[in-house]
Amino acid sequence: MRTTSFKSRAFALVSTTALLATLVVASPANAAATDPVCDGKTPVQTCTGTTSDGAAYKMVVPATFNGTVTIWSHGFGGNTTIPGVFAVDSTAQIAPNGPGQSGGSPELVKYLTDKGVAVMGSGFSTQGWNLDEAVKTNAELIGIFKAKFTTTTKVVAWGYSMGGGITQAFAEQHPELISSAAVMNPVDAWGSQSKYFIDLLWLMKTWFDPSIKLTGYAAGAPGDMQMLGDLQKYTAILTALKAGVATGAWPTTSSASGKALQAAGIPSRSALLMIGRMAGISAQSSSFDGVTGPATTAFTAWPLAYAPALATLENIAGVLGYSLLGARDMQNKMGGNSFDNQKSDYSKQLSDEDRTVYNAGLSGNTAIAGMLQTLSPLNPDAPRIKGDAAAIAKSASTMYENTGKIKVPTVMMIGQHDPVEPAGIVQRISDLYEEDFAAEKAAAKKSAQKSGAYMAPARKLQVLWATTPKSWSKFDAAGSPISIAGTPGTGHTNFTTAHYKTLIDTMLSASANGVLPWNGAQLTKVYKAKNLKIDRTTLYPWMKYYTK
Amino acid sequence: MIRTTRRKFLVASAVMAATALSLSVMPAQALSPRSEVGVTLSTIKLGITLPMTGSASYGYNQLPGAMKAYFDYVNANGGVNGRKISLVVKNDGYLPKQAIQNTQDLIAKDKVLAVIGALGTANNKAVASAVNLGRRGIPSLFINTGFSGFNDRKAYPTSSTILPSYIMEAKLMSKFVKETYPGKKVCLLYQDDDFGDDALVGFDKSHGNLDFAVKVAYPSLSQGVAGVPDSWITKFKAGGCEVQVVFGVASATLYTVLAAAKAQYAPKWVLGSVGADIGSINPATVPYIIGATSMSFMPSVVDPKDEYVVKFKEINTTYNAGAKFNSWALIGMNTAFVAVQALKAAGKNLTRASLLAAIDNSGSKFANAGLVPLNYSKTSNVGFNGYWFGTFNKTGDLVPNDTFTYTPYTTDSGTGDVVKSTYVRPAMPAKGLPN
Repeated sequence: MRTTSFKSRAFALVSTTALLATLVVASPANAAATDPVCDGKTPVQTCTGTTSDGAAYKMVVPATFNGTVTIWSHGFGGNTTIPGVFAVDSTAQIAPNGPGQSGGSPELVKYLTDKGVAVMGSGFSTQGWNLDEAVKTNAELIGIFKAKFTTTTKVVAWGYSMGGGITQAFAEQHPELISSAAVMNPVDAWGSQSKYFIDLLWLMKTWFDPSIKLTGYAAGAPGDMQMLGDLQKYTAILTALKAGVATGAWPTTSSASGKALQAAGIPSRSALLMIGRMAGISAQSSSFDGVTGPATTAFTAWPLAYAPALATLENIAGVLGYSLLGARDMQNKMGGNSFDNQKSDYSKQLSDEDRTVYNAGLSGNTAIAGMLQTLSPLNPDAPRIKGDAAAIAKSASTMYENTGKIKVPTVMMIGQHDPVEPAGIVQRISDLYEEDFAAEKAAAKKSAQKSGAYMAPARKLQVLWATTPKSWSKFDAAGSPISIAGTPGTGHTNFTTAHYKTLIDTMLSASANGVLPWNGAQLTKVYKAKNLKIDRTTLYPWMKYYTK
Repeated sequence: MIRTTRRKFLVASAVMAATALSLSVMPAQALSPRSEVGVTLSTIKLGITLPMTGSASYGYNQLPGAMKAYFDYVNANGGVNGRKISLVVKNDGYLPKQAIQNTQDLIAKDKVLAVIGALGTANNKAVASAVNLGRRGIPSLFINTGFSGFNDRKAYPTSSTILPSYIMEAKLMSKFVKETYPGKKVCLLYQDDDFGDDALVGFDKSHGNLDFAVKVAYPSLSQGVAGVPDSWITKFKAGGCEVQVVFGVASATLYTVLAAAKAQYAPKWVLGSVGADIGSINPATVPYIIGATSMSFMPSVVDPKDEYVVKFKEINTTYNAGAKFNSWALIGMNTAFVAVQALKAAGKNLTRASLLAAIDNSGSKFANAGLVPLNYSKTSNVGFNGYWFGTFNKTGDLVPNDTFTYTPYTTDSGTGDVVKSTYVRPAMPAKGLPN
């Protein structure tokens, strides 16, 4: 953990927008598949080529190749090149980035190749929400590798973020091609993920700046400029909210509804926290633990009233860029807006527990009721988003929705307070698997009544939760919070090298043995990795899209 | 020879355990019963999380000391079925996130059998959900809250509360106010959360049916903001309030009373049980609450003839060195006293499941100092079900009258009537040790 000035990915992003001059829209390549071209080096050779959909791929194969190869799926990338801001990156990627790295961690690649494991991955033919395309690319890439390296016996799929969702989808659709999977902080199915993103964006727009466009972006470069304009407005909102945390002041751009709430004495920090609770954003973040207060009389009030709002703000800053890019990308792909919140009941998205636990931060039940009232579909000042029927139909019929079913031994890893892919995504999969596993055990017991021997089923899912320290917030002598970056268990894909190595060992063990390791050595390894735990009893709320 | 055999057995056990963990084929009968977490042949470990520091800690931070004192007394007299009880205390500062962390630690690191006497609605809602107590079968017993929602046994199958529900309290208050102050303008200050919501149910038409001329809801924490309590008093004065009901936490009562004194607002005070005991928090406030009405389910802590008070005071003197015997000490000691009976009723083969079953089956019969019955059963997680009314005397202690004659009332959390309780409290067991 290191302390730095408060700065987020989104803030950094916006600071460069002034440099914008032109926009280049990327389109997928259409190259034919090529056989791997290898450099023949020892002890590790590198092969490259392209799949039939034009995805550049890379294979790193040790001379000691033991028959096992990993296939990496990388995270979300923009589909639009915006000079100085975004560049479409389709270069082949074969492993996760270590802390502070880009382009894949050489240390992790070496860690694998030293074990005799080959490592491969592609850059995919298209970026953005590319789950369906990527699954096809990965299936083809496995075939290309096996044709070139005929001693291949095991394939292990792994990926994070968008790539985590791709890996899960791949394991669901092609269990016959892989022997184990490692899924890190995966995206959820688009229906759930889009609700998370757009609830956040719509709620902020509705209260804090109704001039934000959000939907109906123009095609091509003009639409990209509109999206960037929105990004600047959202960033201005966050800046104003941060400045108003202590005073409760609302952004000057607030809607009539927002101004009415302000006039009723509801501080903007309560509205901010309310948005976070309704969207499902964690109220703990890299700088704010929700348990530590300054060494002043506010040491109880601070964690209850201020920290949850500030944590929400910090987490929104972490997910904002992804939210807008994801929404924009999907509007392009579906030819319109596939999200519709006309029937959303936001009062139901505020859980009973949230009403109680965050009651002080939300300024009490009367304030909660007042805020919810402004979100009524009948309030003309809070117009709902009406989806385009054709886009919704296209989305429903063409996009694969992950089922969460576990078909091969799978290890998952996710941060407790990931702002982009909340822990509830993995919690849901874990909960559903527990039901499946219980049924499997019941069936085994029933079978044992006939055979006389109980064949215990092997548990096929192991979740590694990246956890926070017990407390981490810090304050200066005046009682002001100090911004902290990189707190374990917070942030997106914020894993240590030890975390990755634990995950790698787990997925390779599962691949080699056909079952996940659950022994003492595994528990010790997880413990020694620090801020990592196996815990089937922890409970994170599911994404708001789902009802149990 | 014995050692060798035992070592072989241990090795064999380890191999079997590893095999069971990793795959495999194993006869069902090889599975053996295990001992319960937090219980050994000679010990029982319990845990508690509550605010020991911070603004919400006043009074409540005396509970663990009193509980420990009683457990030590029991331990000195042979323990429960030969087992000595220990209590692990953790400070949560009244912060839900900290309560979650503490409870996880109590379960995973301290390995307690059960959590006992934890404080607060928000904290315990958060804990039940995040730590998943129900699904894991971990008891959280005698929670110090009156939030009626904890009686949802589907949502909270392993939790129980010890206070009467806030709905019950508001119903009883309604009856008292209507009978004592007929025709007077009555006003209400309440906390704007689950606590206050329960009260509003208890006061509403279908329950207590008490009308208020002015109602002010205060968001939690706002009571400490300069000028805010003054604004409440301004509203009450403007409304011509003659009877002032306060259904809030102690700090809210304290600031309200001080603001009222400053504004020369002198209504008849009716203070809810949670926030009434401000005299023991800040002795300087005693003059402001002399004669104010409040309610309790325990005997008065200064009752010279109550056998429970006398005995607990004696134990407090010996085992809770230097701690004043006040209402908090009485409640803490009584909670421990009830817990010991639950542990005994669970039997020698003490498990989490047997402990929960013992409370369901026998909890309503546990002897204790309460002047109304405990309500535990297979369908109820709620502890006491009524109150008596009294006034604060010159030392800031709540007393029923000069002769310490109590008239307890009882009711339910539904629309049942408020009636005088016919409960006959069991006698204090010999030496203060449950049979």
